[in-house]
Amino acid sequence: MKLTGTLYLIILTFILIVYYLVCGIYLNNLGYYNHESLFYIEKSKIVFEGLGNRLKVMGLTAPIIPFYATFLFSVISQSLAPVLASAVGTAILFHVIATTIAKRLNDDGYVWLLLILFLFHPGIIYTAASGKGIYLILIFFFLFFLNLFKFYRSNTTFHVSIASLSLVILIFCDYRFIWLTLFFLPLVLSITIHSLNLGEQESIFRLFLSFNSPSLRRKLINKTFALYIILFSLPLAAVLCYKLLNLTHASDLNYFAESPYATWNVLVDKLSFEQLTTNTAYRIPETSILMSFRVVLFAPMILIAIYLFRESTYQVLTILTPFAFIEFLHIKYDKVFLAYQYYMIFLILAYLCVIFKAQVVKNQSVFKLLLLATVLIQLYTGWYFLRTSSIPEEQNFINVFFKDKKADTQRDNEEVANYLNSLPSDSQVLLDDAIAYSVIAFTHDIKPITMPYQGNYLSALETPDKFVDYVVVASTSNVVSGYTQLNDKYIGLIRHSISNVNFRKVFETNNWVVYRIITNKSGNTF
Amino acid sequence: MSISIPELLTNDGFITAGDRDAIEIHSNESGLSFIKIALTSGYISRKNYDRCILNAGYTLNEHPRDEAYDEEVLSKIDLNFAHDRLAMPLRIQNGKVVCLMASPDDTLFIDFIRFTYDMEPEIILASDLDITWLSNKLLGDKYTKSAVFELMKRDPDSSAVVTFSTAQLIVIFVIIAIVAIGLVLSFKNTSIIINVIISSFFLVAIIFKLFLALVGSRFELHQAVTKEELKLLNDDDLPIYTILLPVFREDKLIKKLIWNLQSIDYPRHKLDIKLLIEEEDDKTFNAVKNLDFPAVFEVIVVPYHMPKTKPKACNYGLHFARGKYLTIYDAEDIPDTDQLKKVVSLFGKLPKEYICVQSALNYFNRNENFLTRMFTLEYSYWFDYMLPGLDTLDIPIPLGGTSNHFKLHELVELGAWDPFNVTEDADLGVRVYAKGYKVAIINSTTYEEANNEPFNWIRQRSRWIKGYMQTYLVHMRHPVDFWKEIGWKGFLGFNFFIGATPIIFLVYPLLLIFFICYVVFDLSGIRTLFPDWVLFMSIFNLMVGNILMIYINMIAVFKRRYYELILFAVANPIYWLMHSISAYKGLYQLIVKPFYWEKTNHGLSKVNSPTNVVK
Repeated sequence: MKLTGTLYLIILTFILIVYYLVCGIYLNNLGYYNHESLFYIEKSKIVFEGLGNRLKVMGLTAPIIPFYATFLFSVISQSLAPVLASAVGTAILFHVIATTIAKRLNDDGYVWLLLILFLFHPGIIYTAASGKGIYLILIFFFLFFLNLFKFYRSNTTFHVSIASLSLVILIFCDYRFIWLTLFFLPLVLSITIHSLNLGEQESIFRLFLSFNSPSLRRKLINKTFALYIILFSLPLAAVLCYKLLNLTHASDLNYFAESPYATWNVLVDKLSFEQLTTNTAYRIPETSILMSFRVVLFAPMILIAIYLFRESTYQVLTILTPFAFIEFLHIKYDKVFLAYQYYMIFLILAYLCVIFKAQVVKNQSVFKLLLLATVLIQLYTGWYFLRTSSIPEEQNFINVFFKDKKADTQRDNEEVANYLNSLPSDSQVLLDDAIAYSVIAFTHDIKPITMPYQGNYLSALETPDKFVDYVVVASTSNVVSGYTQLNDKYIGLIRHSISNVNFRKVFETNNWVVYRIITNKSGNTF
Repeated sequence: MSISIPELLTNDGFITAGDRDAIEIHSNESGLSFIKIALTSGYISRKNYDRCILNAGYTLNEHPRDEAYDEEVLSKIDLNFAHDRLAMPLRIQNGKVVCLMASPDDTLFIDFIRFTYDMEPEIILASDLDITWLSNKLLGDKYTKSAVFELMKRDPDSSAVVTFSTAQLIVIFVIIAIVAIGLVLSFKNTSIIINVIISSFFLVAIIFKLFLALVGSRFELHQAVTKEELKLLNDDDLPIYTILLPVFREDKLIKKLIWNLQSIDYPRHKLDIKLLIEEEDDKTFNAVKNLDFPAVFEVIVVPYHMPKTKPKACNYGLHFARGKYLTIYDAEDIPDTDQLKKVVSLFGKLPKEYICVQSALNYFNRNENFLTRMFTLEYSYWFDYMLPGLDTLDIPIPLGGTSNHFKLHELVELGAWDPFNVTEDADLGVRVYAKGYKVAIINSTTYEEANNEPFNWIRQRSRWIKGYMQTYLVHMRHPVDFWKEIGWKGFLGFNFFIGATPIIFLVYPLLLIFFICYVVFDLSGIRTLFPDWVLFMSIFNLMVGNILMIYINMIAVFKRRYYELILFAVANPIYWLMHSISAYKGLYQLIVKPFYWEKTNHGLSKVNSPTNVVK
């Protein structure tokens, strides 16, 4: 059996889809959820069932590509759509990498190694079964670097433009990847120097030659500039346009990145910061200098990759660029822990580099054994990094998946949602999905819920008695209660400003309180 | 006189003995007269020939056009024979047949006269060009008629002689009526529907073009013919290759033209180059006559007949083509020197259904001014990405104006070019597919002169866009039949490529005005015509569409290594406005004078055009 055959790769992909789906649904049954997938579920519900300015939700929810990817699966099941998307998406990632192996190496050994990675690596299983958009980041990160390496070999516009398109999509999968462009600025110069037709081979002497000859200098500048434009004009223009759309539709250029209504990680990052400032045990490993070292521990195969590319300075620089990128992220977003996907990209990059250079290794058997050993180490480090992660939902994943422990992180939200589901269908509920998207994700019908995307939300907020019957308010113990108007202060404020309105507590959990609005006119007693 | 012309020329040192032998061999093989080959294959200049025969005591009739002629006498000679021998009978006078001859010792022609008229000839020596002019004028009528009406008679549905069919007129007026009624009954909703249709159309067209460009760029490195394959070609095995050069008032370019043609790497005796000059075009005619160095082409004079279009001239020239393959170049074209050989090699490799090979076109004067830069951007994208993309997806290719190489026999079978269509090339490309044949793309470039003058540019572009409209209307007379002929891919490709192009340029300025009014004046009225979701879609189209089209232009010039042009791609929205002006002019002309050929002036460039020698 030749694994690299198209049919076998498709069969393997399908097997992986089934495997990931089993994992994902199993986790789902155990009650594992994360902020990102719940956010997508809630926004999908608004898009498909909501009443109001759905277009804004559809166009400005970020990251937009993973959000749209869940759309496709919403037809099957809205609550499982993110998991279905990530399961299928991760299997597609396998297929993309395996196809590249089939084209370049045509060697079953590398597919087996990849299969081990995709079957057992906790990070890959996390990618596939969590419902997060990491799979898209990995796919387009892989395609970006694959096409870049192909461009180094072929020097064709096709590959550089596909790399550019991949970068655009990557940015719309995770906006932070825009910073990757920053580290490509010096790299592009290095690429251009290499592509000039010079007798000298050593990069530094090529640079010296190019700078000292007027015609070569002109050519170097023209080509470097042209390459910058081809590679980066599309992502930058796309971001600019997206920002303009945000400006026209939300009156804020950075709405997609900074509004809790548009993206899930605004509040999660703030929580992370609070955790950091209140935590007495300061986490040493996530200091700047050690980040790259942690990456090497996580994916030691990257060392093999760098070794394989050692003869070409600019290609080694290309591999090192993501290191600079995560170091930068750590400095720029110093109040946030580095999420697992930023480690995962190295796993993928390392394998890509191996695929690209494996042919040059003479002793294939020893090389494959070395790779196998590295893969096994990576399986352990993958598990270790998740288990010791500073991000609760990553730790939670390991606890639920490996310890078979029922997750209760969302129990509170589910209880509130169940209560709302039990209300009469004509009851109107006021709720702020900036913090309560998790509640809405569990509700069966969102039509009776008034949320900020709707035109009458502000009116309902000011005169709740005229628009709604119930209000869901964040309790004082809710860690994000400060990020919404619908908290305990709101109740007092309305009671004070509208004299004939009062609230009766009808349901309460640790994080939420549901009030029924009662007025004098309705004849109810206070 | 006992001494023959070949001897005379050799003795006078105008040709070598070797040349003479080569000409005689060529003459025996082709049936062409010795003097025709000597004068049209670059052996001797006309001036030297005149000098030689005058020195030998001959006298030249300088005004043969004034000579009387007799229709009865003329009816007995075919134009092809007159061309081949550079001679023709005029009348019978004093028991002799008065004949015009370029070479007085052409025994074959003299024998023909004796045999046909049973009389001795009386020879009047005249310039070969005058004889050609007169023979075409007097004998070319049936060929002219055929050039104009052949396609119309044989395949009326493919001819653009009727611009709008009755059914098309009914459809157009019904649409106009529905829109008018809709606007009256519900202005807002009708406007929204129109908006949505236009936006969706734009979106699909843009994505389709991006897809095509990416498919095309995928094969950037693909060499249809490699250098190694070229080396395998044996000169002796090469077929005769016809090159048609339709010109009109291109007197300034004749010297350049000869230089470019001489650079073509193809055996001289296997080239059949025909310069097609319009009967009334004295400027070009005299420029050729006054050349003081050997010409490498044969002149064909196209008799006056409406419509006065390039395809009509080409169809006329086709009657005299001797080659197995045929191509068209413009007077200012500089093809890669190995282009013909590459085409021969490619035709040898391709299956039989491939009857046409299109070369890429680009510009030698790209850095002359803004317009030439934009034109280069456009052509680079069109010929390097779009056409290879269409080729890969098996969608009809609208051929470029020049450098399309045909198999002569199949071209004639197709009915050749439509003289009533002003973009006969695009029309023929579609017809090739409709008749079950195919077009291939080759890795060879012809460098042309980019239009560097705005009004001249608009004239040229209005003709192209009018031609696209004509082509679209011709092939959409029976849409269902057409769809069956070229398949769904071809049908969609045709609609989005040929059909969409004029529509997009017509609509583009209107949408831009809407947008500018919306942004600058903040007109609330416009807002009612664009509900949120339509606005979202329109802004997406405007931004993404412009960016993608600009980007495609950028990658195309990046491929050509014209790095200095990359930033100019940003100016495309302005360049497209010029397209829109041309589109409106084209639409107006389509209605009032559909067959009018807007002449593009060439030779305006100040840039030297070095020959593109392929090493």
